[in-house]
Amino acid sequence: MHGDGARRRRPWLRWLPAAAAPVVIAAASLAGSLPAGASNPLPAKTPAQVLELAAGHQVRAFSGTVEQSADLGLPELPAAGKPAGPASPGSVASVIELLSGKHSARVFMDGQDNARIQVMDQLAERDVVRHGSDVWFYSSKDNTAEHATLPAHVQDPAQSKERQGGGGVHTPADVAQQFLSRIDPTTAVSVGPDVSVAGRAAYNLLIEPRTDGTLVGRVAIAVDGENGMPLSVQVTARGAGKPAFVSQFTSLSLEAPDASVFAFTPPPGSTVKELPVPDRPHGPSGAHTPGAMHGDAKGNVSVTGTGWETVVGTLHGSASAAGSLLQDPLLSQAAVAVPGGRLLSTALLNVLITDDGRIFAGMVPAERLQSAAAAAR
Amino acid sequence: MPSSVPADIPEAAGTARQAAAPRRSGVSLLGSELKVLFGRRRTWALLLALAAIPVLTAIAVRVSSAVPPGRGPAFLDRITQNGLFVAFTAMLVSVPLFMPLAVGVVAGDTIAGEANLGTLRYLLVAPAGRVRLLLVKYAGALAFCIVAPLTVGLAGAAIGAALFPIGPVTLLSGGVVQPQEAALRILLIAAYLAVSLAGLSAIGLFLSTMTVVPVGTMAATVVVSVVSQVLDQLPQLEWLHPWLFSHYWLGFGDMLRQPMVWDSFGSNALLQAGYVSVFGALAYGRFVTKDILS
Repeated sequence: MHGDGARRRRPWLRWLPAAAAPVVIAAASLAGSLPAGASNPLPAKTPAQVLELAAGHQVRAFSGTVEQSADLGLPELPAAGKPAGPASPGSVASVIELLSGKHSARVFMDGQDNARIQVMDQLAERDVVRHGSDVWFYSSKDNTAEHATLPAHVQDPAQSKERQGGGGVHTPADVAQQFLSRIDPTTAVSVGPDVSVAGRAAYNLLIEPRTDGTLVGRVAIAVDGENGMPLSVQVTARGAGKPAFVSQFTSLSLEAPDASVFAFTPPPGSTVKELPVPDRPHGPSGAHTPGAMHGDAKGNVSVTGTGWETVVGTLHGSASAAGSLLQDPLLSQAAVAVPGGRLLSTALLNVLITDDGRIFAGMVPAERLQSAAAAAR
Repeated sequence: MPSSVPADIPEAAGTARQAAAPRRSGVSLLGSELKVLFGRRRTWALLLALAAIPVLTAIAVRVSSAVPPGRGPAFLDRITQNGLFVAFTAMLVSVPLFMPLAVGVVAGDTIAGEANLGTLRYLLVAPAGRVRLLLVKYAGALAFCIVAPLTVGLAGAAIGAALFPIGPVTLLSGGVVQPQEAALRILLIAAYLAVSLAGLSAIGLFLSTMTVVPVGTMAATVVVSVVSQVLDQLPQLEWLHPWLFSHYWLGFGDMLRQPMVWDSFGSNALLQAGYVSVFGALAYGRFVTKDILS
C-alpha cells in the first residue's frame, strides 16, 4: 500500500500537519490582531479641529458593545471569589466592582430619551433602561428591578446622562466628555497617528496635563473620523507605561436600534422598588465618585480647584455615607489611615473619607485632598 | 475497568468483523461505530448519570424550602416559579465537571479502548486506512458530545414540567419569552455545549493514540479539563485565558439575553476549531506512524 510505504520511509512527514496547525493558527491570530492598515487615511486635522469635531458630534442613535477594563490598583480577587453581581446596580459595591477588572456592556441609544445599557456578566446581567422619563435598573442575579421617574429638570440631556450611566459603565463618549471638559490652556493637546476602533478609522487625540497637581499622565481619545463620536478612551496614570483605564467600542452600528429594546416591564416574580426622586441634579463633574452616587451629597457639594486639579467634596459630614463606604469589606481593607481620615488610593483617583464623615475625591495626589479637606472645614 | 467487561467484547469484535469486509464506505463504518458506542451499557450509564443531575436538582428543590434569590448556582432560585429553569440549572451545574468527565470517558476510549481489547489491528487489517478510522472514531465522540448536553437539557425540562409549573421564562435581560421559545433556547444551549466539548474530545482522541490503557487516557482527559478551568480562574494568567479551551464554557448565558448575543458562540466555535485542528493533526501524526501491536 502506498501510504504504508510513505509511512515507513518518511515518518516525519506524518507529523507535518501537527507542526503546521499551530503555525497557521498563530499566523491567523497575529494577522487578526494587527491594527487595520490605513487603507483610506483620514484627512489631516489640527488638534483644534479634532476637538471641534468631537465637540460637535451629533450621533444620537447607535448600538454597540463597549469593553471597559480598569487596573486602578485596587486589590484583585480571583474571579471565583468575586460576587457575580452585587445586589443593587447603583450601590457602592457595584460601582467598585465595575471599576475593577474587565467588563463588557451592550449600549443602545436612540435620541435623548431612549437608552439601554446591558452590563453582561457571566450568567447574569445588569440593565439600565431609559424610556422617556422612566428609568429602570434590573439585576438578573437576584431578579430585582428598581424604577425611577426623572423629574422635569433632569430632562435636559446633559444632566440626564448622569442617571443613564450603567452604575459605573459608561460609553466612551461619556467618559471622553469628562476629560475634554478639563482641557485648559496649560494642557498639551496633540493628534497621534490614526487608529482603528471597532472597524472605524479615528483620529487619536492625545491630551497631556502639564501640571503636577493631577494623577493623570495622558489621555488618548479616539475620535471617529466621520462623525466625531469618541470611540475609545485610554487613561494612563502619571509615570505609568500602560493605561490604567480603557473604555472602547468593540463593535458599533450607527443604525437606530429596534424600539422594543427600550421597552421594559419588570418580569413576573421580580422584586420591584421605587427609587426616590432626586430633588436636585447631582454635581456636574464629580458625580461618578462613590459618595455622590449615593445621593447623600445633594446640595452639599463643594468644588475646589479647576481643570485637572478639581476636588469634589461634601461640605457637611454624613456619617451614613462614610459608614456605608467603609462597611464594604473590600473598601475598608483598601482604605489606609492618613492624617485627617482614611484614604482610598488608586492609580487615577483618590478618595479621602475624613474622620468627621466628609468625602473628598479627585484625580489629584492625596495631599491636595487633605489640604482641600482642611480648607473646607 | 468497564471496557474489559466481557459483555463489551462481542460488540467490539462485531466492529472488527464488519471492518474486515472489503470496500465498506466510511458511512457504514461510522454507522457501526455509532451502533457500538450507543449500544454499550457504559454509554447508557454515563447518559443516565447525566440525566440524574436535573432529576436530583428538581427533587431537592421540591422537597426543600424556597431558595432565597441570589443564592446557589444561577437560576436555582427560579425553579419553584418555573420548571424550565431546572434545565438551565442542570446544564450549568454539569458543565465544569460532569460533562467533561463523560466526554473524557468516551473520547479517551476511542483508540486506546480498541487497542486494549486487541481489536485495533483487526480494524486495520482491511485497507480501511488509519485516517478513516481516526475520523470515524472522532465522529463517534462528537456524536456523544451532542447527545450528552441534550440529555441534560431534555431531562431537566421533563422533570421540571412534571414537578413545577411551566410558564413564560424570564431571560437575563429581564425580558420574558414563551415556553416554546425557551425550549428553543435550551436546544441552543445544548448546541453551544456540544461545540464547547469538541476541543476536549480532540484532546482525548490524541491522548487515546498514545497508550493502550484507556483508563489512563480517560483520567488524563478529565485532568486536562480541570487544569484548564483552574488556569482560567487565575488573574495572573490573563493573557492565556482566551486560549484555554474551557474559557467560553460558561458563556452560554449569552443565549439567554435579549437581544441574543452570538459573539461568544462564534469565538467559542473558532477556538474549538483550533483545538480540533491542532490535536486532530497530533493524533494523525501519532496514529499513522505508530506500530499497532494489539
